[in-house]
Amino acid sequence: MSTPDIQPGTEPGKGPMTTSNSAPTGGNNASSIRFGHGIAFRLSALVLSAVGAIFVVMSTATYFMAREALLKNAEQSARTQAQALVQRIEARLAPISRVPLGLGYELSDGLLDDAGILRRQRQMLLDNPEIFGMAAAFEPFGRHADQEYFAPYTFRAPLGITHTSLGGPAYRYHAMDWYQIPRELKEIIWSEPYFDEGGGNTLMATCSAPFYKGQGRDRRVAGVVTADVSLDWLKRLVASVQVLDTGYAWLITRNGTYVTHPAPGVAFNETIFSRAEENHDPELRRIGQDMIRGGFKLVETTSLHTGKPGFLVYAPLPSTGWSLGVFSPRDELMADVNRLALVSAALGGGGFLLLAGLVAIIAQGITRPLRRLRGAAREVAGGHLDAAMPEVMSRDEVRDLAEAFANMQKSLKDHIRDLTSATASRERIQSELRIASEIQLGILPKTFPPLPGHTEFELYASLTPAREVGGDFYDFFPCGPDCFCFLIGDVSGKGVPAAFYMAVSRTLIKAVAESVAGAGRRRGADRHSAQPGANASESQRRIPNPGHILARANNGLAEDNESCMFVTVFCAVLDFATGEVHYASAGHNPPVLLRAGAAPEYLPTHGDPVAGAMTGVEFTTDTLTLNPGDALVLYTDGVTEAMNPAQELYGEDRLVERLAKMGEMNVRETCQALAEDVHAFADGAEQSDDITMLVLRYNGLNAAASKTDGKN
Amino acid sequence: MECKGSKQGAFFVLEVSGRMDALTSQGFETECMNCLEAGDTRVVADLGGLEYISSAGLRSILSAAKKLKAGGGDLAFCGLSGIVAEVFTVSGFAKLLPVYATREEALARS
Repeated sequence: MSTPDIQPGTEPGKGPMTTSNSAPTGGNNASSIRFGHGIAFRLSALVLSAVGAIFVVMSTATYFMAREALLKNAEQSARTQAQALVQRIEARLAPISRVPLGLGYELSDGLLDDAGILRRQRQMLLDNPEIFGMAAAFEPFGRHADQEYFAPYTFRAPLGITHTSLGGPAYRYHAMDWYQIPRELKEIIWSEPYFDEGGGNTLMATCSAPFYKGQGRDRRVAGVVTADVSLDWLKRLVASVQVLDTGYAWLITRNGTYVTHPAPGVAFNETIFSRAEENHDPELRRIGQDMIRGGFKLVETTSLHTGKPGFLVYAPLPSTGWSLGVFSPRDELMADVNRLALVSAALGGGGFLLLAGLVAIIAQGITRPLRRLRGAAREVAGGHLDAAMPEVMSRDEVRDLAEAFANMQKSLKDHIRDLTSATASRERIQSELRIASEIQLGILPKTFPPLPGHTEFELYASLTPAREVGGDFYDFFPCGPDCFCFLIGDVSGKGVPAAFYMAVSRTLIKAVAESVAGAGRRRGADRHSAQPGANASESQRRIPNPGHILARANNGLAEDNESCMFVTVFCAVLDFATGEVHYASAGHNPPVLLRAGAAPEYLPTHGDPVAGAMTGVEFTTDTLTLNPGDALVLYTDGVTEAMNPAQELYGEDRLVERLAKMGEMNVRETCQALAEDVHAFADGAEQSDDITMLVLRYNGLNAAASKTDGKN
Repeated sequence: MECKGSKQGAFFVLEVSGRMDALTSQGFETECMNCLEAGDTRVVADLGGLEYISSAGLRSILSAAKKLKAGGGDLAFCGLSGIVAEVFTVSGFAKLLPVYATREEALARS
């Protein structure tokens, strides 16, 4: 979950849209701030990543496959284009080369006279506009025995077709290439192109064909017919060929000389080999070699002219032995492929963006109820338990979650209501217990010394409850002249029941003791008659008998005691004029007698039962005499059964040992020292029972001057 | 605290062991009430295995004894030792209730 400090609306201006505090809008605002971590974002990212990856793979595959296909197609079309160009050129060159051949046949037949030759030549010139001039050059002395040179030449002069005769000492044509090569090779030969400045000021090439005389074995070369062909049309044709945008075509002769080339100054001036040499391009040399051999091929190369990579298709022109090269730049061939790729990428990208938008919207739609739920949950978490849970219309997990949240909210409310009422009730009980505790401790006498003005004895008592209220008690009160009753008690069990029983016991015992004392006084005053005790003397008669007190109190407590609670009591009456103590015990721990100057000892008891258990029980009364300085220590089992963390008991032995060391301390100090010792022994262990003690020291009648309590 | 009961002659013997304090003593009372309901009114509690008894435990014993007596039976004790015997003595329960040294003696009474 997010930290509460970006809860929308808490700090205006912190988030982009912090305008509202209401739960659903708040949730949306928070989500827009934290979208980077939201489910919607991750869902979108995941889907889009997957789709994107698939799209990229598919596009790449499509691109390469299309490229392959298009490339093949482009190659094919480049070849086709080159071939078409070759055919277009051939379509005009082939008939031209047949023209001198035709004249040659006629000459071989020997049917033409000199004038006839000129007529034929003129006719042929008229028929073939590409032919600039025609010559029929005969072997030395081959036509006329007296003429070494006979070569009538008909050509287009500026003013019309005219005739001349070639040959003479200045122009020995028999040694010329145009004559020698076809004569020797006995085939039609196209010369290297040349620029004819004198004739037509045009690019020209000469097509030479030998003719013969004689038949069979006697057949000999009789001469050579030539046709000077203007090649301007060829140049224009090749130059006009449109190869894509920056592609171009060019021609080389069988020697490698450029006939046409788009670069200025290349045609006629350079050969393909010189150009290769110049540019250190061995590949071009190889291409040139293959071209003049008549190769027909497609090669991938880089154009020296444009510097672009591309495909070069070269093909021979069969009639001349020349070779045509067509260069197609690769990027333009690939333009289709690239356009296809671009289009598909654009389509794909557009689709992807559309999908991204859709996915985002769908994801937002799916998580919207979640975000609203989160807003509501935050409110609940913030303590606003009545926050409205958003209604989820979809029948999916989110709806289940919303219902679960609503249930949780309800349970939480119930629980908190229960807890509140439980806490209130516990606090009420606590407060009542506190008051009860004050009341309980309040009913115990806390006036020390108990009888101001009397120094015959001193007494101190303390009670440390284990809980708010407990079952221990002590009491002391005067009960007749020179008589002082003191007692300690411990109710079975703990807590409130014990406290009730303690209050009842303590009140009952005091009432009984005072009534017994009153009765004793009356009996002593009226009749001086014997008390029930066997060893009663006159002085003892007026002293209340603790055994009687306990017996009567026991009967009162045991009657209708449904809960079977009981109380152990040690009850004693001190005659402080004599130091005589009468005492009885109802199942209580034996008190410690501290004789001055002697070791502490436990008072022997008779094992009389606890009070409140059964009616009609007799309690034995014992008597002892305290000398000045002697003391009695009464305690409850909270002292001897105090436990330390090791579960060890404080014990009777330790009690006696400690009391022995306390020696001459006054009763308050003894009480406090003993309480501290028990506390130290417990060492932090929980106090399980009330700790109560009462110490009485007898000082004697004459002690007033020598010894006082000095404190209270 | 654990209680194991067995019928021995006219008596129902409860062997009590462990600690009998405020938390557990109700169990002893309940066992005795079960005996009473089953018609076993004469119960002997063998406290030989008892390690500790608190005043709440004594209250339960007293309550059980009173209820058994009201039902025409009784509750006797045997096998007391150590601190339990001391508590019985100091509290006077040894005087209030029949206590025997051994189980045989408790079973031999009429």
